Amino acid sequence: MRLLIVEDDVAIQSFVKRALSEAGYQVDTARDAETGELKASEGVHDAMIIDLGLPDMDGLNLIAKCRAQGISAPVLILSARRSVDERVKGLEQGGDDYLTKPFAIAELLARLRNLLRRSSAPHSDPVRLEAADLQIDLVRHEARRGDHLLQLTAQEFSLLEYLCRNAGRVVTRSMILDHVWSMRIDPGTNVVDVHIYRLRIKVDADGRTPLIHTIRGAGYVLKNG
Amino acid sequence: MAFALGTGLAFAIIYVLVAKTIRERTDAWLSGEAEVLAQVSANTPKDHLYNRIVGEVAELATRELPDERNAQGQRLNSVFFLAEHLDGTESPLWVGPGSDDVFVKAIQGASVGRTPRSIGVEGWPTSFRVVARPVGMSGQLIYLGLSDRGDRYVLHILTRRFLLLWGATALMGFLISYMSARRTLLRVDNITEAVARIGSEDLSGRLPESASRDEISRLAETFNLMLDRIQSSVNQLRSVTDAVAHDLRSPVTSIRGTLESALSNGPNDNWRDSVGEAIEHLDRLLNVLNTTLDLAEAEAGALHLDRRPIDLTALVEQFINLYQPAMHDRHHEFVADIDPHVVIDADWSLLSRMVSNLFENELTHLPPNCRVHIRLRLQNESAELVIDDTGPGFPPEITGRAFERFVKGMKSPGHGLGLAFVDAVAKAHGGVVKISDRAGGGAVITVSLPASVLQPA
Repeated sequence: MRLLIVEDDVAIQSFVKRALSEAGYQVDTARDAETGELKASEGVHDAMIIDLGLPDMDGLNLIAKCRAQGISAPVLILSARRSVDERVKGLEQGGDDYLTKPFAIAELLARLRNLLRRSSAPHSDPVRLEAADLQIDLVRHEARRGDHLLQLTAQEFSLLEYLCRNAGRVVTRSMILDHVWSMRIDPGTNVVDVHIYRLRIKVDADGRTPLIHTIRGAGYVLKNG
Repeated sequence: MAFALGTGLAFAIIYVLVAKTIRERTDAWLSGEAEVLAQVSANTPKDHLYNRIVGEVAELATRELPDERNAQGQRLNSVFFLAEHLDGTESPLWVGPGSDDVFVKAIQGASVGRTPRSIGVEGWPTSFRVVARPVGMSGQLIYLGLSDRGDRYVLHILTRRFLLLWGATALMGFLISYMSARRTLLRVDNITEAVARIGSEDLSGRLPESASRDEISRLAETFNLMLDRIQSSVNQLRSVTDAVAHDLRSPVTSIRGTLESALSNGPNDNWRDSVGEAIEHLDRLLNVLNTTLDLAEAEAGALHLDRRPIDLTALVEQFINLYQPAMHDRHHEFVADIDPHVVIDADWSLLSRMVSNLFENELTHLPPNCRVHIRLRLQNESAELVIDDTGPGFPPEITGRAFERFVKGMKSPGHGLGLAFVDAVAKAHGGVVKISDRAGGGAVITVSLPASVLQPA
């Protein structure tokens, strides 16, 4: 997969490029809108990451110009602004998702994956998720560790499902809030943590190998051991 | 100026009226006397005694008026009587000052009739008011004239007096308005001076307010109100910068500290924990920053509202789901009473943050083992969200100021921006937030937001 990053801040561009490369993507970069437009017009990218605060043009304008040129690759907008206007405008102008700075790399990767999956061939929804000895039946809404059926509330099930879909990858609290509770807010207290702890009690209990791990400063990950 | 003109006009009108009245009086006398003389003339046989008889009557008539004289000693009320003889053989009968030829010439020059009119006479500076009367059926005319000098004299004195009066009145009026204007300007000057003195150093000074309700008083009042607001803003700014400084410096210090220790510890497992911890502090810092920015935007009226129909029921229920475990962990009884289908036109992002703040507030401020009750319903075209708890209630030191930024009870954790943000969002949507103490102990927060018109049935 080939990506284009249009971001004028050198430090941000550098760490994003490194993270994306490590995740297996091929990455092109541009430091301003003009260069960005030039590179985008080659039409070889599967997705673009565009910063709104570019020196020579508003990022939204750049997106509009790309769309006008027939470039349909999905766009992830990076913005330091939080006002709703901008975000909605961005989405409506053909950008497909947004992230406010500062963001966690894990979230950037996750949203990028979503964008790419959306635009590729429609995939069939899996009916089962598996990780180590954890099995989740999405049709019957049942989760098992080995033979043991887990007694989970609806919320706990959704949370476990999300962790399992991202098995092996760190998910941040804000990602969890977005997917499980459809909220894009930053709570001050540890509301998400409490849900994770309760889930952990049920999933990692009885001497079983712990699956749900806390990564300090990042979030949680579901993986074996 | 207007006053002077007004009084001047009044005097002018009075003058004209008086002049007219005087003239009418004179004319009336003239006509009356002339009539009498005409009768006498008609009834006196035209013999050698005619001249003597008529002459004497005429003489009497002329002496009727007082012998007033002016400053120069001239007679004011000169009267003449002229009766011409029809056959023109004799010179006309003449009673009056001086000789008759100039008068005859004057009368012949003008056409004098029954109506009195003024004619000029050669050798006389003032005109004469003359009237003519026919004598019986004979066709003879008699003339009676009165010098205008008398009238003129009276009018002259009147004019002088009027002018004097008018001058005095105008002067007084001018003095009065000048004095009162000066007084007003002095008061304005005082205010200007006082305001200049109330500089940025001493915002506590206020202008003296008098009991009168005139414009100057109102000006002083308005200034004082403005100063109140400015002082309050400056105070708030001071407390904001203090609080922000505190709220930002502490986490930054922690972050720096943990990263420094990670640096010095070298490559062992602890460094992950340290760095992770530092990131967590950063997130918290970001939270404070975001809320401060939001609040600043809200207070500046610059909040962008993207209003869409929002299912408040669903939103609140999601929050209840989210916060349920945390509440439970604090051993709170968490009760919800949510009406279905409460839909309002609002900005989703702001509303979520507002509700989040309200719930966070409950979590951070309540000691364990309380009862938290959430109620949502549609009430008269507005959605009403009520959160009440059986906690310690609002500390007395903050009631009345709970919505100011960074106001919080001394014992409570958090940065005190929560309620201020709730207030700002509610106001931006045209709603209100009310806080009160709960009967039986605890706090009640009521948020009212105007509903949408697209209310599903």
